Amino acid sequence: MDSLGYLLHGFETALTWQNLLYCLLGVSFGMFIGVLPGLGPTAGTALLLPLTFALEPVSAIIMLAGIYYGSMYGGTITSVLINTPGEAASLITCLDGHPLAKQGRAGAALGIAGIGSFIGGIVSIVGLVLIGPFLAKQALKFGPPEFFALVILGLSLLLGLMGKSLLKGIIGALFGLSLAFIGQDQSSGIIRFAFGQTELMKGIDFISIAMGMFGLSELFLNAEESLKGKASAPPKVKGLLPNKEEWGPSMKAIGRGSVLGFLIGLIPGTNSVIPTILSYSMEKKLSKDPSRFGKGALEGVAGPETANNSYCGGALIPLFTLGIPSSPTVAVLLGAFIMHGLTPGPTLFQKNPDLVWGIIASMFIGNAMLLIMNLPLANVWARITMVPFKLLFPIIIIITIVGTYSLNNSMFDVGAMLVFGILGYLFKKAEIPLAPIILTYVLGSLLEKTLLQSLTIFKGDFLGFFTRPISGTILSIAILSMLFSIITSIRNKRVITEDVEM
Amino acid sequence: MKKKISMAVALILMFVLVIGCAQKETGSNSKQQTNAGASSAKKTEYPTKPITLIVSYAAGGGTDLGARLLTPYLEKELGVPVVVENKPGGGGWVGWAEMLGAKPDGYTLGYVNAPAVFAGYLNPSAKRKETIDNFELIMNHVIDPGVIAVRADDKRFSNVKDLIEFAKKNELSANANGVGTENHIAALQMNKELGTKLRSVQFSGSAESITSVIGGHVDVLFAKVGEVLEPMKAGQIKILAVMTPERVPQLPDVPTLKESIGSNIEYHSLRGIAGPKGMDPQIVAKLQDAFEKAMKNPEHEKKMSDMGLKVDGTKGEAFKQLLKKEEASMVEVKGLLGW
Repeated sequence: MDSLGYLLHGFETALTWQNLLYCLLGVSFGMFIGVLPGLGPTAGTALLLPLTFALEPVSAIIMLAGIYYGSMYGGTITSVLINTPGEAASLITCLDGHPLAKQGRAGAALGIAGIGSFIGGIVSIVGLVLIGPFLAKQALKFGPPEFFALVILGLSLLLGLMGKSLLKGIIGALFGLSLAFIGQDQSSGIIRFAFGQTELMKGIDFISIAMGMFGLSELFLNAEESLKGKASAPPKVKGLLPNKEEWGPSMKAIGRGSVLGFLIGLIPGTNSVIPTILSYSMEKKLSKDPSRFGKGALEGVAGPETANNSYCGGALIPLFTLGIPSSPTVAVLLGAFIMHGLTPGPTLFQKNPDLVWGIIASMFIGNAMLLIMNLPLANVWARITMVPFKLLFPIIIIITIVGTYSLNNSMFDVGAMLVFGILGYLFKKAEIPLAPIILTYVLGSLLEKTLLQSLTIFKGDFLGFFTRPISGTILSIAILSMLFSIITSIRNKRVITEDVEM
Repeated sequence: MKKKISMAVALILMFVLVIGCAQKETGSNSKQQTNAGASSAKKTEYPTKPITLIVSYAAGGGTDLGARLLTPYLEKELGVPVVVENKPGGGGWVGWAEMLGAKPDGYTLGYVNAPAVFAGYLNPSAKRKETIDNFELIMNHVIDPGVIAVRADDKRFSNVKDLIEFAKKNELSANANGVGTENHIAALQMNKELGTKLRSVQFSGSAESITSVIGGHVDVLFAKVGEVLEPMKAGQIKILAVMTPERVPQLPDVPTLKESIGSNIEYHSLRGIAGPKGMDPQIVAKLQDAFEKAMKNPEHEKKMSDMGLKVDGTKGEAFKQLLKKEEASMVEVKGLLGW
């Protein structure tokens, strides 16, 4: 119970008016960069880092951490409203969030995402306080082979998101995988499919693809409809809270998402997309009526949104306890610690208890602030869906273009985004689902990298994966889950035909 | 309608006001600073406007942090704002290509990272024409010295000699941060000159590499001093040797590779300031002067030392020779990279 005493002491630090102010500044700025597609939490924290030199270390880190978890709240908003993920972690939210918005239920989607994010955030902080240090050591057992297994599991679960036709889904998935080939191959150094373009050497940016395929193509479709004079009037915003019967499943989804996100966050090297995919697939599998998913199932928003927030809290554990940054944003936070003369790692809790517990306490406060900001704002944001299309269209175009440009200050990314917008439009016309494309793209590079790393470690022996307990278990689960999906789809064709339509 | 128009006008005016204020502020700011450095500003009419400093890596990385730590002191010396611009991608060559394409007027400068810069043109699949000769080399900022380390509870090796002897007979896995990066080349050089059997596992960055060595997935860690100080203090890894000619102040007890086994293999990365070829020599001299003063600022040196970095300050021709030597050692192992 020592922790509790320390935590109370931490609140003492966090509740000074300066620290409250910095916390508020951090979470607001985090929300803001989450809303802006393109400017993600990594760039956001890095840009503000020099501004914190003059601050007390504890205030500086409170603010920077606030940006990190605040951005996870903001990313939801664009996903739901304009089908464009503000950052990768909110990608899955497009699947059900946007259909909900089309039904006039953007408020409910944003509301449940806010509640889920809050619960996920709090659960992961409690986990950080209670069992963090113990779990962090276990997480080190995850090496390249285990990551590879985890990615395979993620991909196997994609089978459930394939859309009307399994064949078209697989076309999409393979297209996404082949996009991941563009650029320099890490293990041989050979540059593939770059056609002499320096910009292509690093591969195409995720944001360019996501914003083009999801956001821009949606605009093209809408524009086409309004040209034909068939555009449906903007939906009336109704119901800012979930329906009575939705509360139960949503809260369960939030509970499961919290645990899942936290556990994945512990593993250094994962990204925030993996817990959202796992959570979405899990909710779909556990649902009584999986056919609702993709058409506006509230659990499909609640689970993943919770998972990405609790992932954040989990990801701080390896940083605090082992000094290991588990994601790019956390690496920037590590930089902030070092610049302020602090050393994250096992000694941090002993040497700087005031600081650590102050930060942890501030995260409780920051999450509460975000909840207060988000619930009433959900109402305001949701009204955006009522803005007539001809007014919204140019605004969205500006947001997507500025957002893509801000990634690397490069017009190339903007061009790529436009190309993928057109591709996305064509794919939608051909009824090829977009979700597998973008998800296999995200996982594809990780898949290739970890496979080659593992094979180098195993000296080229594929069976090596099954000689390690964790990777063996995960791979077996993945194979079973694939078999299960195939068997159920053969037995019960109805589920597949009415499946997610993007 | 009238009301709306007047609202719009008011809004526009407000914008103009805000912009005007902002400009005035920066204007007076830089004026103050020029006054402060007036004595040195008299000879040439440079600089008169903000300078762009291109960092070819993402915000928050080592190069970026170093650049952002240096610019405040540099601004003091030069009297104009120095804006760090991140242009990541292409192994650094997105930013370098942009810098080389800029006018050589001294207003577009950038960080050049070695040996990363060589990999961009020595790798034949990159099909690149520019080489290090296209850069106007101004001054080296930092040397990031490399070390060789293993997991703290790895019983097989207590010193670097053990490790080398073991690796001659047995295959060991070692990390690398990509093909042709400094730690990859170090491992290849050891294989070539010492006969070790190191297999390089490619990771995306040092954080990943260190994690997999601590986790016991990879045997040997090649990393920089700044990256290993914390895990060493935490008892997660033990550092067997530093791969520089002399011991480093942050690790006084760790021997150099040369002391231990008499090998001359060195491993470090350099991050220096360059511009496009063809800059006015007077401007170059002025920049060298300003960079030197900024780098020698004790506050700056202390911050860099805390991060495990050594402020270098080799300039002009000497800097060029330094890079040429690095390039030559990379060409030596080119065959091993399959290039």
